Amino acid sequence: MIEINLQLLCFMAAALLVVIGLGGMLFLDNIIKKIIAFTLLSDGVNLALVTLGYVEGGIVSILEPGTSAGAFPENAVLIFGPGIVLTNIVIGVSTTAVLVAVTMVLYRRYGTLKASKVLKGERK
Amino acid sequence: MIDAFMIIAYVMVVGIAIGAVAALLQKDLLRAAFLSGAESIALAFLFQALLAPDLGLTQAIVATVLMPGIIIIGIFKTRRHEEE
Amino acid sequence: MNESISNLWSIPLFIIIPILTAIALNIMYNRKKAISVTAVASSFALVVISALSPFGFHWFTGHPAVLPTGGYTYRADLLGWRLSLEYYYGPLQQIAIFLASLLLLFVVMISIKSLKKNIGPYISLLFLTFMSSAIVIMVNDFYHMWIGVEIGSLIVAGVVLASGEAVSQKAALKYTFFSALSGAGLAIALALILGVTGYSNISDAIKAMPLSNGSLASILYVAFGFTVLSWVYAGGLAPIHPLKADVYGASFPHATVLLQAQSKLMLVAIGLLLLRVFGTLPFAKEVMLSISVLTMMLGVVMAMLQTDFRWTLAYLIVSHSGLVTLGISLGTVQGIIGGLFQAINDVVYMSVLLLACEGVYYFGRGTSIKSVSGIAKRAPWLAIAAILGAFAASGVPPFNGFQSEIILIQASLNYGMPELAIVVLMVSVTTFIALFKGIYNIFLRPDDALNNNEKTGTPVPKILYACLAALIFITVLFGVYPQLAINFLTEAALKVVYIPWVP
Repeated sequence: MIEINLQLLCFMAAALLVVIGLGGMLFLDNIIKKIIAFTLLSDGVNLALVTLGYVEGGIVSILEPGTSAGAFPENAVLIFGPGIVLTNIVIGVSTTAVLVAVTMVLYRRYGTLKASKVLKGERK
Repeated sequence: MIDAFMIIAYVMVVGIAIGAVAALLQKDLLRAAFLSGAESIALAFLFQALLAPDLGLTQAIVATVLMPGIIIIGIFKTRRHEEE
Repeated sequence: MNESISNLWSIPLFIIIPILTAIALNIMYNRKKAISVTAVASSFALVVISALSPFGFHWFTGHPAVLPTGGYTYRADLLGWRLSLEYYYGPLQQIAIFLASLLLLFVVMISIKSLKKNIGPYISLLFLTFMSSAIVIMVNDFYHMWIGVEIGSLIVAGVVLASGEAVSQKAALKYTFFSALSGAGLAIALALILGVTGYSNISDAIKAMPLSNGSLASILYVAFGFTVLSWVYAGGLAPIHPLKADVYGASFPHATVLLQAQSKLMLVAIGLLLLRVFGTLPFAKEVMLSISVLTMMLGVVMAMLQTDFRWTLAYLIVSHSGLVTLGISLGTVQGIIGGLFQAINDVVYMSVLLLACEGVYYFGRGTSIKSVSGIAKRAPWLAIAAILGAFAASGVPPFNGFQSEIILIQASLNYGMPELAIVVLMVSVTTFIALFKGIYNIFLRPDDALNNNEKTGTPVPKILYACLAALIFITVLFGVYPQLAINFLTEAALKVVYIPWVP
């Protein structure tokens, strides 16, 4: 029996979010629902990235005045995960904004949010 | 050996799972947007637990204001209920 | 330790000038005169800077490199741990950015002439397209690579949306949804590489790569897979080529000029990254080669089936991306030179064809071979330009396509795979057939449906002809003196093969 610690738990949550997000993007028909599924997917990726850098019993990787410089690199959680995730959150928001804008334009043209109807269109 | 900290983490993970599934099963898109926001706030607590407080703050702001806001603008410009 | 920071002055300008211009143009929204002065001036400045700038590095935060023997240095050519986010401007970057900024100048001038409204935001998107391709070709760290690819794909969606047709809006929606997947994949690949090696700088990561350790190598396979996914997405390669082909076909032809330049540069940059970082993994080159062969075959077959000249060109661009990929994934010096040279030639001759296609638009009947015919009588120079571009694209001497394809064929023969040489030949022959099907029907077929007295459409602007002449001059120049371009590319190819940790 594997003992479930925080890191494993968060990995499982991240995997769950990625699976739910991918499934929603692939199988749901409503475009707004697809966008919400995309936000779930990017949340899952963010959680996975933060969990990768977690150190059991570590400290926050901010060098405060009291911390000794020798103990800091051994105990601090890895900084690369948060570094990427901060950018990924911003990118997620801007991608969502672009997707919503395109959806509004397509709704004005077709009057429906169903992806199966909107994307069916035949090319000349 | 489960302490109070892990119990909170379990609750948050369960909240994430329920929020995500419920958001995708709603017929009302507005409610779906709010539910996905609630899921993201639970995620912010997990970030805090994983020793990334800066991300927790960012995620909390983005999840409560920006993401649902953008999606709600989209919903008001299109339609609120999923069509059959 | 009296060394000073020798950051190159020109590298920040390639990023800052487009961003500032984009902001300014957005503010000027629709004031045509101010927009044209600003946009043409700043794109001309980019051309001049890229031509005059010396080679060098830009190190973010100005960290010195840590020498293995101890001590620090600011000299980039010494073997040291860079520890920083790094940009490099070398010969390959110079010729790529020079061509991209030249195309930006042409496209800006043409779009000022042809657009009626929303000129400011549209041209600012074009500037940002240039910026993202400049970022991706110059970076030497995973982090900026990822940011460049993400920004680039969002901007592509904007440029495609600008043409305002139903097709383009659908293409933008699909492309952005997939950008979410590939961006997430690239982020995970980045995090895995950082976790395995501990460095964000590509040079440092290659030096720290633990290839002997079995368990970590399996993590590298996952990272390789996700990087290939984003490579396939950014370059428009085989399994998902309809996405990118839709993007090329659905935007304005003059915007496609920049879009295809952007995706060629991304193809080259991420391909060289794959070779440098993962080149020693078994199966890596085989995976890349099979993707390239699949892209070439599917691209030309789809191009033959199209009836609209725009979509023919879109699928041909995809299939010629396969040629670039082939050269890079062979992994030999000759192959990489051929691939890079093919990328540059491809950008130039596809621009000729796309601008000729843009010229057909001015006659007001679209670009489908069913609806438009007999253009050669009304615009003979346009027809000549299209025919010359088609010759260049299908590898006829003395144009540039011939020179790069002959290098690719020799490289695949030397690699011991004559099948690949046959595929390259097949691509050039089918390119010829697909192009001349379109060109014959649009330009040369006598116009029977419409009497020639009725003049539909607006006159083709003079600037379009000037741009076409300049681009055709470049195709002939590189075709007659290929060494002019190859001199710029040899250094990059040698570095990738023999000393992959040097940018």
